[in-house]
Amino acid sequence: MNEHIVKSYGDELAHLTAEVTRMGGLAESQVNDAIAAVTKRDTTLAQAIVGRDERLDTLDTEIERAAIRLIALRQPMANDLRRTVGAMKIASNLERCGDLAKNIAKRTLILAENDPATALTRSIGRMGRLVAGRLKDVIDAYSHADIDRAVAVWLRDEEVDEHYNALFRELLTYMMGDPRTITAGAHLLFIAKNLERIGDHATNIAEIVHFQITGEEIVSQRPKLDSLKPQ
Amino acid sequence: MPAPQPFSSGSGPERRFHLLGWTLSRAPGSPPRPPPPIAAAPPADPLNEALERLPEPVMVVGARDAEDLADRQVLFANAAARDLLRLQGGVGPLVSAIRDPQVLEAIDESLFGGLEGRCVFHTVGNQDRHWLALTRPMGDSPGGARLALLLLRDETDARRSEHARADFLANASHELRTPLASLSGFIETLRGHARDDEAARDRFLGIMQAQAERMARLIDDLMSLSRIELNEHIAPAGRVDVGQAVNDVIDALAPLAQTRGVKLEAILPARGEVVAEGDRDQIVQVAQNLIDNALKYTPDGGVIRIEVFAGPESAITVPRDPTAARLALLVPDHAAGELYAAIRVADAGPGIAREHLPRLTERFYRIEGQKSGERSGTGLGLAIVKHIINRHRGGLMVESVLGLGAAFTAWLPVAR
Repeated sequence: MNEHIVKSYGDELAHLTAEVTRMGGLAESQVNDAIAAVTKRDTTLAQAIVGRDERLDTLDTEIERAAIRLIALRQPMANDLRRTVGAMKIASNLERCGDLAKNIAKRTLILAENDPATALTRSIGRMGRLVAGRLKDVIDAYSHADIDRAVAVWLRDEEVDEHYNALFRELLTYMMGDPRTITAGAHLLFIAKNLERIGDHATNIAEIVHFQITGEEIVSQRPKLDSLKPQ
Repeated sequence: MPAPQPFSSGSGPERRFHLLGWTLSRAPGSPPRPPPPIAAAPPADPLNEALERLPEPVMVVGARDAEDLADRQVLFANAAARDLLRLQGGVGPLVSAIRDPQVLEAIDESLFGGLEGRCVFHTVGNQDRHWLALTRPMGDSPGGARLALLLLRDETDARRSEHARADFLANASHELRTPLASLSGFIETLRGHARDDEAARDRFLGIMQAQAERMARLIDDLMSLSRIELNEHIAPAGRVDVGQAVNDVIDALAPLAQTRGVKLEAILPARGEVVAEGDRDQIVQVAQNLIDNALKYTPDGGVIRIEVFAGPESAITVPRDPTAARLALLVPDHAAGELYAAIRVADAGPGIAREHLPRLTERFYRIEGQKSGERSGTGLGLAIVKHIINRHRGGLMVESVLGLGAAFTAWLPVAR
């Protein structure tokens, strides 16, 4: 941080938002690259992802420090306080996304030693694109303070779950059919779970963005698909 | 940092962008001249206008403080850049427009290192785009801020055709193998012990013809799918009367429905009432594939309900039957207040189990245990529908109740 420059309170808040957005961009590219690494069996890319994770950790720490400093020195109120705390919370969600992407990359390295399972990695790719799209939308919502977009991400939470469940079944069928594929199948199962977790973090961020802008929680009117099952 | 100067203001250093002749014609003190003969109303500044209308996104970024990311500001963005990066007003903090770490790094190198940068950059969404980002240092502005130019070059076409070719080959070779194996099996039999058996020969030739037709359908579908995929990122230009298009499809399929005793019940708008932005042939294909599917799964004597209507997305996706399992197969990129034209086709078939819903638009996905009757499809129908609707920036949803039937709704923006 550049403490030698005396900055206005507004500048400091803008700086915090910019840093969180930058971190979002980094987390996004880690997730996108992780998906590309799995589907293309690209071990070089997977190793690069593992190496880059540290930057996300550093950014998370920096944002946390800056936010604490701002709270201590400026004592923000209301909207500004929500922005400051929101930045801290979003940063830690993004850091988790990065960890999950790193985990996917590590599993890619193991998967590359086994025979390719193109049909399954294709399904992973499809679910991955969905999750990456949600992460992108929610960071867009944050950087543009766009509440509609945040709510849209939040409302479509169940799509990822549906994909996860379908993929789960697909993987089980595959592993039952040929026990030699269990190692690869188990790793793919964890990868799918990681993607689902990234989707959950996107939903969390949507909630934080909503709270930051309105000061209120999103009212839970979300239709849970289970209740819609035919009786 | 002073308020960023929009380039169109035409004062200050931006003056140098003026075309010489035009500047002379406006030189201070010169008497008003008659307008140039060719253009009745020339743009205020042709060079700015050219930059503004350049199909490739162009941005100018300014910054003072190398350490502070919030200080990087977009000073100018042409129409293509504003559209791509959703930059309202064309100015604002750089990170809210672009946050790709590599592009940010390249811009920094041009701003503070005086280097030319180059990297690839993807924008994801329903229509994935691949860009080559080029950055150039532009020196210092009169206000003391450092400037850099960012140009994005669309490389989606090249990437896509590469991909499409690989996909096409993989799919085609895999799916054509089965009918081909059966054809060669029958040829062998006909040359061997069935050579003189007239009844068997007729029967075999019938099967062979069906298999050959299946292969032809498959190739047709694969070709149209790869054609659609190649153009998916280019929005269609044209106006389609959706009601009329669907009506034509119903007319064409009526004889087939009649032989099966299936009733096609349609609620269509008046001519010219629901007009969408789109490619007519493709909209016809959407309706054709959806109604064809409905015919395939509706038992003899059943009823297929077809509706065409317009409304906001929330009205189109409202659940008709609260007990139905529903899933959006495609959701358009969020645009507030957009009006859509919708085509809804509800069959009276067995319905689709929930766990199959997310995979319906996958190529060649078939639900296990599903009988493939004589009119068995290629497994590409819904994939084609999804890609066409995505090209039209629309959405697709499925609802299903086991034992009662399934309904597909496709929607696309109405023409403005």
